[in-house]
Order: sequence, then C-alpha cells, then structure tokens
Amino acid sequence: MILTLLDRLEEWLITFLIGAATLIIFVAVVHRFGCSVPVPAIQDLLIPINMSWAQELCIYMFVWMAKFGAAYGVRTGIHVGVDVLINRLPGKTRNKFIIFGLLAGALFTGIVGTLGSNFVWHIAHTEQVSAELEIPIWMVYLAIPCGSYLMCFRFLQVTWSFICTGQLPHHDHSHVDGIEEETIPPDVNWLEMDDNLHPHDLKHKKLGNGSKEGGGK
Amino acid sequence: MSVAIIFGLLIALMITGMPISISLGLTVLSFLFTMTDVPIQSVALKLFTGIEKFEIMAIPFFILAGNFLTHGGVARRMISFASSLVGHWHGGLGLAGVMACALFAAVSGSSPATVVAIGAIILPAMVKQGFPRNFGAGIITTSGALGILIPPSICMVMYSIATNTSVGTLFMAGVVPGLLLAIVLGLVAWYRARKYNYPRLPKASWTERFRAFRESIWGLLLILVVMGGIYSGVFTPTEAAAMAAVYSFVVCMFIYKDLSFKDIPKVLLNSANMSAMLLYIITNAVLFSYLMTSENVPQMMAEWLIAMGLGPIAFLLVVNGLLLLAGNVMEPASIVLIMAPILFPVATKLGIDPVHFGILITVNMEVGMCHPPVGLNLYVASGITKMGITELTVAVWPWLLSMIVFLGLVTYWPALSLWLPRMLGMM
Repeated sequence: MILTLLDRLEEWLITFLIGAATLIIFVAVVHRFGCSVPVPAIQDLLIPINMSWAQELCIYMFVWMAKFGAAYGVRTGIHVGVDVLINRLPGKTRNKFIIFGLLAGALFTGIVGTLGSNFVWHIAHTEQVSAELEIPIWMVYLAIPCGSYLMCFRFLQVTWSFICTGQLPHHDHSHVDGIEEETIPPDVNWLEMDDNLHPHDLKHKKLGNGSKEGGGK
Repeated sequence: MSVAIIFGLLIALMITGMPISISLGLTVLSFLFTMTDVPIQSVALKLFTGIEKFEIMAIPFFILAGNFLTHGGVARRMISFASSLVGHWHGGLGLAGVMACALFAAVSGSSPATVVAIGAIILPAMVKQGFPRNFGAGIITTSGALGILIPPSICMVMYSIATNTSVGTLFMAGVVPGLLLAIVLGLVAWYRARKYNYPRLPKASWTERFRAFRESIWGLLLILVVMGGIYSGVFTPTEAAAMAAVYSFVVCMFIYKDLSFKDIPKVLLNSANMSAMLLYIITNAVLFSYLMTSENVPQMMAEWLIAMGLGPIAFLLVVNGLLLLAGNVMEPASIVLIMAPILFPVATKLGIDPVHFGILITVNMEVGMCHPPVGLNLYVASGITKMGITELTVAVWPWLLSMIVFLGLVTYWPALSLWLPRMLGMM
C-alpha cells in the first residue's frame, strides 16, 4: 500500500518535473522574443517581468528529475551494463553475478546517499543561497541523499524480487507506439532467395525473374 | 601504476554486468578511499555539480522531442514520402527504407526505435512484394543507425559535454557525412537490387509526391527548428532542444493527432526515465574523469603514445579499433563519456581537429551498433525479423562493409566533416 503510493509519487514527480521544465524554458524563450518585438505596448508589458531565474530553476528541476528518475530507472531496468559475458555463463553462476551487480548498486547508492546527507547537513548550517532564486542551497542539494537512498532501496527491492521470482525488470529500448503487429509471412522459401547467400539449386526459378519492372504486387 | 589499477578495477567491475554508471562510481570511490587522500566529501559535491550545467539539459529536451515523434504514424508518413520519391528506382521499397530510416532516425534520435518503427512497417511489405528477407533486414539494421550522425544527435551532445566542443558546430559538421552515408547505403541497396532484379514500385505522380511531402514535412521541420535556431543564434543549443520538444508536442497533438492528451504523461515519464539514466551515467562519468585528471592520466597517456612515435594516422587507426570494440559491449553514451576525455587530449596534441574527432567517434558508434557479435541494432532487428544473429550478420555484410569503408573516409579526410561548418563560418 505504502509502496504503491511511493511508486506513484515517484512517477508523478519526474513526469511533472520534465514537463514543467520544458514549459519554463519555452516561456522564457517566448518572453525574450516578446521583449524584442518593436511594439511599445508589448514591451511595456513584458520587460518588467524578470525571467532570468528560468535557467537556474530548469537546471535544479532536471537535477531532481535525474536523481529520482535514476531510482525509477532501477525499477524499470533501464540501467544496463556489459552483460555479454555473464549471459554466456550457466544459469546459477549468472544469477550470482546478477545479485552481486544489484548489491553493488545498492552499496554505491547507499554510500553516496550517506556522503550526500553529511554534505547537506554541513551546508544547511551556512547561509548559502542559490544565485538567482535565492533559495537555501541545502534544499537544492537535498536531491542527492533523497534520490540516492531511494535508489538504494530500489536496488534492494529488485534484488529481493529477483531472489524470489528470478525475474529482472527489463526496459525495452525499441518500443514504438502506433505500430500494428504485422509479421513477416513465414512461408518465404529460403531456397528461392536469390542473393547467393542461401543455397539454391541451379534450375530453380529465381524470385526477381518472375516479376516485371515496376510490377509490385 | 595507478592507471593500471583504475582501468583494471573498472573493467573487472564492468564485466560482472552491473550498470556502467555504478561500476564507474564504485571505481572512483574505492580508488579515492584506498589510494589517495582526496577528501571523499568532494565526491558528494561532484555528484551534484557534475550535471549542474545548462548545456547538459539539452539531453532531456532532445529525448522528449524525439519521443513525441517516435510513433508509428510518423514512421508511416516518412515511408510514404520516401517511397513516392525513390520507390520507382531499382531497389524500390528497399531504397525507400534507407531514406525513411534516415528521416525518422533524425527526428526520433533513437536507433533501436528507428529499426522497429520503420522495420515493422516496411519489412512485411517488402516480403509481400517478393524481396528476400535478408535484403530488407540488412537495410533496416544499418540505416537505423543513421540517426546518431544526422543532427540533432544526443551522442554529439555527450561529446561536447565531455570535451567542451561547440554543439552547434558538431551538429553542422554531422550534416554532410550523415547525408553521404545515407547515399552510400542507398547505393549499395540500389546496386544489389539492380543486380538481382528486385521489384520496383510504380512511379508516383508529382501530386502524390506533394501530398506525401506535405504530410511528412511537419516532422522534418524539427531538424530545421534546431539547426536554424542554433545557426542563426536565436537559440542556444539547450533552448533549441526545448523549442524542439514543444514543437514536436504541437505537431503530434494538433497536426498529426497521433497522440491524445491521456498519452502525454506516459511520453513524459518514458522520456524522464531515459534521460535520468543518461544523466546518471553523465554524473558518474564526470566523477570518473575528475579522478582521471587528478591522477594526470590523460596527459600521461598522451606522452606515452607520442613517445611511442604514434603519428596521427596510426593513432586514429588505434582509436577506431578501440571504439569499434567498445561499441560492441556498451551503448554509445557511456563510450563517449568514458573514452572522449581520455582520447581527446592526445588527439589535440597530434593536431586533430576537435570537431573532426567528434564526428569520427560518432560514426564509430554508428558502425558499432550494427556490427556482430553484439550490436544493439542487430538484436532489435533480429527481434522483428525473427532471424538469428548469424543469419542477420550475413544479411548486413554488404552494408556493413560499405559503412566501414565510409568510416575510413571520415577518419582520414577531415574536410568531409569540416567543410560545412567552415563554409558557414562556425569555426
């Protein structure tokens, strides 16, 4: 229950951050254009608006998106490594390597989370603020410990479910929407393929010979 | 000594199959912890400041722009435009496939997605028309990789982050080689089709061509928004990327109407997932190259290679070999981020132009995606064609061979990539 809530929260957060950051930069660019339009009325309206904070906010939003998105990525299995070698190993040894890799991920993100929280703790005692937005810098840097600990938790979660079910999350890099499942007809006769890459007998009628130029179907 | 330890550790961690970003990070942590007295606190700061640059933010924007347009509907429009233009020549649909791949890859920015989107539509059509399956599979596997050379290209943004080269110049430099490679792949298809007399399509009338052009132009204008915006100086590259994202949103929602409003969160989430993965690799790669510089590795490598009497020609040959090898086991982003900071200082010392070097690396990544044993495109294509890797390897060889020849051309003829940006006064 709480886990589902966490999952949804994570998804909403990163979805919102990437969408909002895009809008902000778009508005900032449009605003800059508007200011250079030689119509006094528009200029009077736009120039007093200060958009210089847009870049900084965009960067911070993306850093937050990156940290939490990385944690989400563990859950979707998007972080890939060099698995050519271990895929050739027999099942049991391979499983050990996979678990080792996942735990190494948990270790690294755990260490980084701890380093990060130390760092945030120290910086929270200073009066440092960000350049444009003037928000306390520790709030910005909070993304490191939060994101890293969440990622650590995700790695442990994936390890646990791998041990229990033997399944890893898998991200499909080649997923495209809007394609009907059309499959290649299985009745292609290899022997008729005339590309000198397949064996064929000499008397066989070649595919290309039958059709006239331009005669498609 | 420390170089050997760092690389030994990195490679050992990597071949256990853990995520590349994690192995980079763990290498840095364990080296700093055991071998040096660099305060480990600085690592935490680096993890934040590593991606705190506005230039890097071009990556999520480009991914978002590409994801909006990575849709079967867009692929279909590109295919009908391409086949109305070149379908009546030798090679018919195959030739159209090369062109459609180049167009689709340029706007979607993802090679595997291009292979699937174009391949899933055009391959069954080709088989129905009587093309052998290898012919189509070979074309789609290799042409799908065109996207990382034709701007906007995420691989080039990665290179520019790693080496501080101008993104705009790199994009411009990619135009001529990208078009040339598309032509080369098309020529191979044309030649083989003529030799074996494969079917051709009826010639399309100019009205049909115009209709297909009007349909696909909205997607293609994305390239113009990016390139025109950057070149004219209206946008910075990151702003251009953000504008491209908004533009492709408008196109897919209001012009093509491929997506409805309820699909938007899914597209955003997918893009965020993808970009977070890349940004995470960048953070850790920045950490890694920070370790490299603090240990003076690039300088040592440069001196060592120059002391061995390696001239530019031999050096580039070594680079090509190394990258092709790496291209087989890692994805382009990680390779560029790990290799570029190490190889770049040597290249500049040998007088190789940074932009030319960037294009060379990009072409290498492209070839690496489709050459056996484990190119990513091969795997994806094997999925949609239901052909084994060995079979596919046989199917792609004519195109792969021409790609390798093309790689040689790009490597030893800098003017090919540098001519356009020089003409435009960008360098």
